[in-house]
Amino acid sequence: MNSLIPIMVILPITCALLLNLIHTKERAVKILAIIVGIALPIIPLLTSYGLHYFGGHAPLINNPVLAQGLPAFLTETVLNIYHPAITYIFSSAQQLFIFILGIMAFLVIFTSLNETKRASGVYAFLMFMGTAAVTAILLSDDIFNLYVFFEIAALSQVGIIIASNAERSYETALKYLFLASIAAPMLLLAVAFLLGVSGNVNITDIIYSINTGLVDPQNPVLLMACGLLFFGWLYGAGLPPFHTIKSAVYSKALPHGAALLQAFSVFTFVAIAIIILRIFSFIPLAKIFIIVISLLAMILGITMALMQTDFKRLIGYLAVGELGYIGIGLGLGTALGITAGLFQAVNEALITSLIFIGFGTIFYKTGISNINKLGGLMTENPRLSFIVILSGFAMAGIPPFNAFQSKLLLVQASITAGLPELGIIMVLLSIVTFMTFMKAFYTIYLRPKPSDLEINDKDIPKATVISMVVLLVLCLILGLFPQIATSFLEPFAQGLI
Amino acid sequence: MVIDVQVASFFTAAALIVLGLFAALFIDNLIKKVIGLAFIADGVNLFLVTLGYRPGGMVYIFLPGMSADIFTQTASYPLPFAMVLTSIVIGASTLAVMLGIIIILYKKHGTISASKILNE
Repeated sequence: MNSLIPIMVILPITCALLLNLIHTKERAVKILAIIVGIALPIIPLLTSYGLHYFGGHAPLINNPVLAQGLPAFLTETVLNIYHPAITYIFSSAQQLFIFILGIMAFLVIFTSLNETKRASGVYAFLMFMGTAAVTAILLSDDIFNLYVFFEIAALSQVGIIIASNAERSYETALKYLFLASIAAPMLLLAVAFLLGVSGNVNITDIIYSINTGLVDPQNPVLLMACGLLFFGWLYGAGLPPFHTIKSAVYSKALPHGAALLQAFSVFTFVAIAIIILRIFSFIPLAKIFIIVISLLAMILGITMALMQTDFKRLIGYLAVGELGYIGIGLGLGTALGITAGLFQAVNEALITSLIFIGFGTIFYKTGISNINKLGGLMTENPRLSFIVILSGFAMAGIPPFNAFQSKLLLVQASITAGLPELGIIMVLLSIVTFMTFMKAFYTIYLRPKPSDLEINDKDIPKATVISMVVLLVLCLILGLFPQIATSFLEPFAQGLI
Repeated sequence: MVIDVQVASFFTAAALIVLGLFAALFIDNLIKKVIGLAFIADGVNLFLVTLGYRPGGMVYIFLPGMSADIFTQTASYPLPFAMVLTSIVIGASTLAVMLGIIIILYKKHGTISASKILNE
């Protein structure tokens, strides 16, 4: 059912707009948000692979009835195969990513509706809008459509930060929006350059033009477009030099909001990196640049996490560091490397969300995110503490969790690609990640409770516990049966090279 | 010396982007920063419009009875114009959100100095 492809974007957008309209009616907001939230992961499972042309405007070669009687300059030239409409591509990798994004959006919305005293339709609107935007970024084969949803995702993220009402949330939101207002026009300029040299905004058509020599690959305008696209990628994913603002964004959002925000970053990272690899695969420097930036993200993210005293910011930096693993896999450019990188993306999105929601329970009970003011919380809820430490094991890549499988694949990929040094760095940084996490866990849960620490009597909502358990089970399933994910990702990676 | 309209527009677009970047990075006043950011977006929009411009061209509407050859030889390229319209709408929304946040920050801090408000 290819008609379901646009529904994956249209449904959350429509739901978001309706939630905004009925935001005062709490019960209606809850029911609508939960129903659509459940539908989000189900739709990609029901959708068959293929293309969707908006307005039904397929390329002329696929539309012989329309092509009849049209002038020769349309039917007998390359225009015959070009895509005249916005096109969405839905393949196995998109299916897995959108399924995981849907599950996370549902769990986060489910948690937020139960954690807050009064369900906020506006907050749910922002989360659905962001989910729709990132889904569109994953699906779009049209680089201008990507720019539009890139902006919508940025605005939704700003809204989610502001909605937290945390101290200095407005300041962080404005900084993030300032950077978005530079990065988005740069992305549009890249689109304009690509349009200028190829006459197209459809990614498949641009690649065709380059591969068939219609566009000279040595054209310096293409290099400039590549550079600008990289700039948009760095901003969208929160890679250096934007890692500081990205971790600040995570720290100002509510913990469940931060969980969704990091998922947005991971999937935006993957979507734009794949576009860069598809269009600019003929530039060897592009892959090297992806690897260098990824290494920088890993080293800066993980070492800066060591120095943090705010646990939300600490997880934010760890999330930036984990992005580096994905980038290394993609930058290697081999089928194994790309599969491993994409698998790591799925795993990172799940694990970091689990950690954000898990540590969020501390914030819920104490209202404090400074780890130096916390302590002795193991006795408060030993079961939840156990889930949190398991999430730390998962992030560090300890078996039997999912990140072990993806990090093992990454090391294998770096060795087979003739770059074993990358494998060594990844293993070492995984150890540092584990140390950082354990330091925070010890300070928050295991050391004696500070005398001035006040813990409220509120019980952790069941929705939060259910979300954590579901995410942990997903991590375990993907760790024990990695072929569930890799079977979706391998064909896509093969197609990419 | 007569400068070609298209070339002049490209230079204007580049000037707008550079000026905007300068304002966004180096000016302390938040409102002026926002104006600079609007300049960047306007510069890129002008660049796109200029891409679609065709000297001596005609509007890209294929009317009944019109020769296809004449149309292809003279019509301007419509895609950039459609893109610019979308970009303007998005830019206006972003601008509105930025200005809204600045109003709240002004009420909170009593200033619109970026160095005083944004530096933690």
